Amino acid sequence: MEWANDGKSRGGVLAHLERLEIQVNRSRKNSEDLQRAQAVEGTLRTKIHKLRCLRDELRAEAKQRQARVKASAANVEPDQTLEISEQEVAERRRENVKAILRAYRFTGLSGKLTSRGVCVCISTAFEGNLLDSYFVDLVIQKPLRIHHHSIPVFIPLEEISAKYLQTNIQHFLFCLCEYLNAYAGRKYQADRLQSDFAAFLAGPLRRNSLCNLLSFTYKVEPRGQSVPFCARLLYKDLTTTLPTDVTVTYEGTDALSPSLEEQRASHENLFFSKPLHQVFTSFARKGEKLDMSLVS
Amino acid sequence: MDETLAEFIKRTIMKIPITEMMSILKAWDFLSEKQLQTVNFRQRKESLVQDLVLLCEERRASIHDAALLDIIYTQFHRHQKVWDVFQMSKEPGEDIDLFDMEQFKSSFVKILQRALKNVTVSFRDAEENAIWIRIAWGTQYRKPNQYKPVYVVYYSQTPYAFTSSCPLKSNMPLLGQALTVASNHHKIVKMDLRSRYLDSLKAIVFKQYNRTFETHNSTVPLQDRTLELDIHMDSRIIHENRIEKERVQRVTQETFGDYPQPRLEFAQYKLETKFRSDLNGDILAERKEPLRCLIKFSSPHLLEALKALAPAGIADAPLSPLLTCIPNKGMNYFKIRDK
Repeated sequence: MEWANDGKSRGGVLAHLERLEIQVNRSRKNSEDLQRAQAVEGTLRTKIHKLRCLRDELRAEAKQRQARVKASAANVEPDQTLEISEQEVAERRRENVKAILRAYRFTGLSGKLTSRGVCVCISTAFEGNLLDSYFVDLVIQKPLRIHHHSIPVFIPLEEISAKYLQTNIQHFLFCLCEYLNAYAGRKYQADRLQSDFAAFLAGPLRRNSLCNLLSFTYKVEPRGQSVPFCARLLYKDLTTTLPTDVTVTYEGTDALSPSLEEQRASHENLFFSKPLHQVFTSFARKGEKLDMSLVS
Repeated sequence: MDETLAEFIKRTIMKIPITEMMSILKAWDFLSEKQLQTVNFRQRKESLVQDLVLLCEERRASIHDAALLDIIYTQFHRHQKVWDVFQMSKEPGEDIDLFDMEQFKSSFVKILQRALKNVTVSFRDAEENAIWIRIAWGTQYRKPNQYKPVYVVYYSQTPYAFTSSCPLKSNMPLLGQALTVASNHHKIVKMDLRSRYLDSLKAIVFKQYNRTFETHNSTVPLQDRTLELDIHMDSRIIHENRIEKERVQRVTQETFGDYPQPRLEFAQYKLETKFRSDLNGDILAERKEPLRCLIKFSSPHLLEALKALAPAGIADAPLSPLLTCIPNKGMNYFKIRDK
């Protein structure tokens, strides 16, 4: 590159010729580049042209099809296409209604028409838990009668139907609902006590068919040395899930200390006011709190 | 353990089939695991029973333990007894029944023992708040006869009690009284219902035999059933009286339902009626006194047999209501007189 700086002074004619050669090459290259660019531009232009043509074709076809559809829709069988969509709509609506009818169970009182009357379904629940369902199949005749049912034998169905079935069917059903839901609630509490809080019980849970008499011996702390108490819960009102009579006693020979007496009395109140399993949950929580305080 | 007790235990264990021996002994829960492990259950039954009786002696079995084993054996073989059904009733307007099992038991025993000093009463709690009671009767001078006990099955807070047929019928009124008073009832009446199948009797009186209910969740429509007749038949067979067959099917289905029938072995009808005849001048028709006769239907499964009568072409449909009312009325003994 030293030669280039010297310019015209060095080399004389040869250098000049070289320079001219370089110039020519450069210009040739430039023109080649230009040509190439022009060629590319050309191909791109043709491509654009082709795509534009294709777009126009497709647009034209789309317009034609739309026109055809419109024409045929306004043509010979307009009803069939409408019918098909109507049928679909009707099917969907029917499925929807069926689903709603099935879901009616969750309201607690539902029914289905039968060939001879209606089959009523009473779905019991307690504290948001869905429990057993019971059925009463009614024959709509004069007099109204029960064809068959799945009400347990210890629920006073004959009494309730003697009072209300013929005169006020609504009251009959609501009364039956009341009894069944209360029974289901009491049974739920007794089952929960037996299964979840067995550790607190110092003996078997005594119960009966209606779950309206519960008798058990329990300790506030399952592993601790707390005093065992005997509880006897009576539910004289068959339409409630809380006891009407509660007695908590201490099965020992010594008299209770004042603090234990206080505990006994407070337990009695608890059993009156809260469902059975909730009372034991609170015992369990108190126990946890004690453990925590021991640790810290 | 005295000789009579040992003999009683021996005979009770002898009744148990070898295949059930382990499960019954486990349910009895009297002999310990250790003791049972020492026994060879593959030996001849007589030697096995002897070994078991020795173990019972080791553990000082009492009459109550033996009675409990007897109850468990009977629970496993309830079909060997014939069961009667009693219905109790309360005075109208009585208080809510607060049934306490322990109170019931002590009250029941007290009433029996007050009347009869020599009586063995044993209890075993069962599922669904039921209780099995075993009573061995004695007399004022004789000890209770352990080989002829009566069993009572009672579901708390229901009006029904099931008793095994008692050979010593004179004690039944006392038993009835004890049951009634202990369960807070007022009266007791024997129903005209009897069978070997305790579970079927329970299904009949508790009205639990028909458990099919129409809901929006059930799917099988009734029409499908009538097509069943034709679908399985060869297409080359033409049913000439198809309409009549379908009518019979429909009527049978309406009367008996789709559920399995409760199991009874017989139905008995005692007729005391005047003879009815189409022929005039029949000697029997002229009788002033009513004719007495007894008609008994027997079957391994009576109600299923009755249900099959009309579809099989043996009887006309609908069947006589005297036959079809059996589960509904809870009776299989009928007395029919002229009105």
